[in-house]
Amino acid sequence: MDNPLSLRHFYFRNKRKVLPVIGILALAILGVVVTDSLLASARETAYATYGSYQKLILVAPRATRDQDLSNPLQESLTRLHDVQLQVDALDGPGGLSSYYAAVTAIPAQVQAQLPAMRQLQIDAANARYYAARLRGDLVPLGDLIVRVQRLQSEEKAFEQLVQQLTQNPNDPRALISYLQQHQTLLRTVLPDSAQLGRLQAAGTSASSDAAGLQQSLQAMSHDTASLNAAGRNVADLPVPPSPSATIDQFKVALDRLTASLGSFQSPQPGLDKLVAGSARIAGTAFVKRDAYSNLDINMLAGQAQFDLYGVDQPGMAQLLSLYGDRVILGRLPRADGSEIAISEEIARSRQVWIGGKVGNNIDELDRLPDAFTVVGIIRGPTRIGVIPLDYMTEHYLFERRYQGLVVVPQPGHEQAVHDQLQTLIGDSAFRLFDWSYIKGKIDSLIANLDVINRFLILLVTIVLALVVGLLNNLFFRQRMNEFGLLAAVGYSRWGLILRVAWESLGVTLASWLVGVGLGVAVLSWFNTSFIVPHGLLMNVFDWNVLALHTLPIPLMVFLFGMGTVGWQLLRLDPISIIERRD
Amino acid sequence: MLRGHDLALDYRTGGSVAHAVDNVSLAVDPGSFVGLIGPSGSGKSSLMYLLSGLKRPTRGSVAFEGRDYRGIPAGGLMRLRRQRFGFVFQQHFLINYLSAMENVMVGAVRRNHEMAGYAQELLRRIGLGDKLEKRPYQLSIGERQRVAVARALVHRPTVVFADEPTASLDQTTGREVINLLADYRARGEGSLVVVTHDPAMLTGADRVLQMRDGKLSAA
Repeated sequence: MDNPLSLRHFYFRNKRKVLPVIGILALAILGVVVTDSLLASARETAYATYGSYQKLILVAPRATRDQDLSNPLQESLTRLHDVQLQVDALDGPGGLSSYYAAVTAIPAQVQAQLPAMRQLQIDAANARYYAARLRGDLVPLGDLIVRVQRLQSEEKAFEQLVQQLTQNPNDPRALISYLQQHQTLLRTVLPDSAQLGRLQAAGTSASSDAAGLQQSLQAMSHDTASLNAAGRNVADLPVPPSPSATIDQFKVALDRLTASLGSFQSPQPGLDKLVAGSARIAGTAFVKRDAYSNLDINMLAGQAQFDLYGVDQPGMAQLLSLYGDRVILGRLPRADGSEIAISEEIARSRQVWIGGKVGNNIDELDRLPDAFTVVGIIRGPTRIGVIPLDYMTEHYLFERRYQGLVVVPQPGHEQAVHDQLQTLIGDSAFRLFDWSYIKGKIDSLIANLDVINRFLILLVTIVLALVVGLLNNLFFRQRMNEFGLLAAVGYSRWGLILRVAWESLGVTLASWLVGVGLGVAVLSWFNTSFIVPHGLLMNVFDWNVLALHTLPIPLMVFLFGMGTVGWQLLRLDPISIIERRD
Repeated sequence: MLRGHDLALDYRTGGSVAHAVDNVSLAVDPGSFVGLIGPSGSGKSSLMYLLSGLKRPTRGSVAFEGRDYRGIPAGGLMRLRRQRFGFVFQQHFLINYLSAMENVMVGAVRRNHEMAGYAQELLRRIGLGDKLEKRPYQLSIGERQRVAVARALVHRPTVVFADEPTASLDQTTGREVINLLADYRARGEGSLVVVTHDPAMLTGADRVLQMRDGKLSAA
């Protein structure tokens, strides 16, 4: 004969009361499992995305954008203004145009007597043509320099924002203020990064036209000499004085501009020395120059920049071997092609495959310039993307400037290599990016989400403990007669409390199991339908999430419910219940 | 067997003291049927609570089989009520989600086949042999009270305390319930202490005692 007061009887005979409680608790636990797993997924995806740093140290130019690049840009702009002024002087009143007008106004009779005069007319016309072209070239060049400078200041503002948020992670005012002030500007500025490559083209065009102008001016000098050689005193002719002084000033200004543009087209000073020095550090497996770049990817917690390694072809093979990755489709990029090979997760994240394109022309948030064709898909434990060093440094002005190096320590020598690299770098304009730094950044970015998540779990736990606790109390009051009778006929008070405890424990345990089970089901579905196709990472069976993080809810609900009911049971007076006449 | 000596139970409300039981001495012999009658508030139920150990007296003593309740800890009194006493109250206090049979087994001290067989026999004896699996809400008021009687008898208590067991029943049904209890006594299985305000229900009692203002007198 079963115990009529067994839990089985209680649960099966009170389904209509027990099931809603199990439902509410299970749904809350499901919510916690899903949000917690998504947060864990965001963290794991971030770790995996930057997992390549676990085996290498990136040595990159320090604050290139803020200092080393801004100063040459500012200087270039100043030089450009000088050149513009000189072109104005050259092409304006008293310059080439008026000179050309005066030359062409020389009477035809005189021109016929002097063939050199005809040549002077032709060369002056050429000079005037190149001067006009140069004026046209300088306009976009100046515009681009201004835009680049604006981009620098934006990035500086962004770095300040990151610094403020790091110092006060819970104060969103800095972020709101930044977004309010810079959102519109960012939209207009960001496309500029796509046009950075045009700066070089504009400079080349200006240089070419300036060279044409110089040739024409030299020809004009030669023509003047020819006139003198013809035995006629040029002074006797109505030929205006050559604007030679203006020309000389223009030449000086142009030379200064060319030198200034050249200073930021060259790699970061000291890079060669650093490459050589790093290779000599004991415990270093290999060192590679790296014209690094980035792809914009979605990491669940927001957009992030996936690091691409711009190395030579042997370097690509070495990196793949280092991580145990392999090309499963296609091939590695050629040295002279705008090509890229990326891990399959990143390809899925960007929804590209072999033949697909990535880069600034496709997604304006990519730092990778133009459009690179995906030629290889990589599979393996570490997510990686490789682009050709030569192509990057030969075709893109700024990639030379952003060139760094990848230092791969031998296993067990990571810290020693890191320390020696730090010593080697000293005060130079480079800095180290290693796994501890990257992991720290990821953790600090997710730290706020962690706090929010914990707060939500706490809130849900408290609210549920109150709601279910009240339901328990309500249910308990409906069973007051039962407990009153049992106490009267000799059931012990602690026995009754234990019985209620088992009942509550059963309900909360069932809720927990159902909630976790539902969570696993929902996460499995979400993992298959969204996470994997988008190249994200999720551990559906993260026991840390499933067990530890969800337990506070049933535990608190149980303790609160039991606390209040137990207290009432201890104070229960069976006679007052027996004598109640209702 | 069960003896109350100079029992008093006072209720203090504010500055005044109400004497629910006032110097009452009473003995319940083995196999006897003792009836307590009296108007509402006369203290008869309070006297029953003192005798059954549900309440501790303000003064005086109760002893069961020679053991003074004062020397028995709370847990011991609970075991005494659970194992040696049976209770029937004015309300049936059946558990709604249990069947008639299961409700009876709530009163069982041991739950084995023998006890289950006895519970079934009891239910058959009280005319509910075909309603073993019925829930309380599927039974009439009289049937519910009969199940409550069976619950009080299933562990073969030495003393059955019945507090107004017929108060919410009609005359005929009330008589049936009293007969069930009297039958238990007649079989020699235990004593009966029945509290009621209806003297007609105590026709089979060995002794009928009158309670008035907390004091006891022979009826």
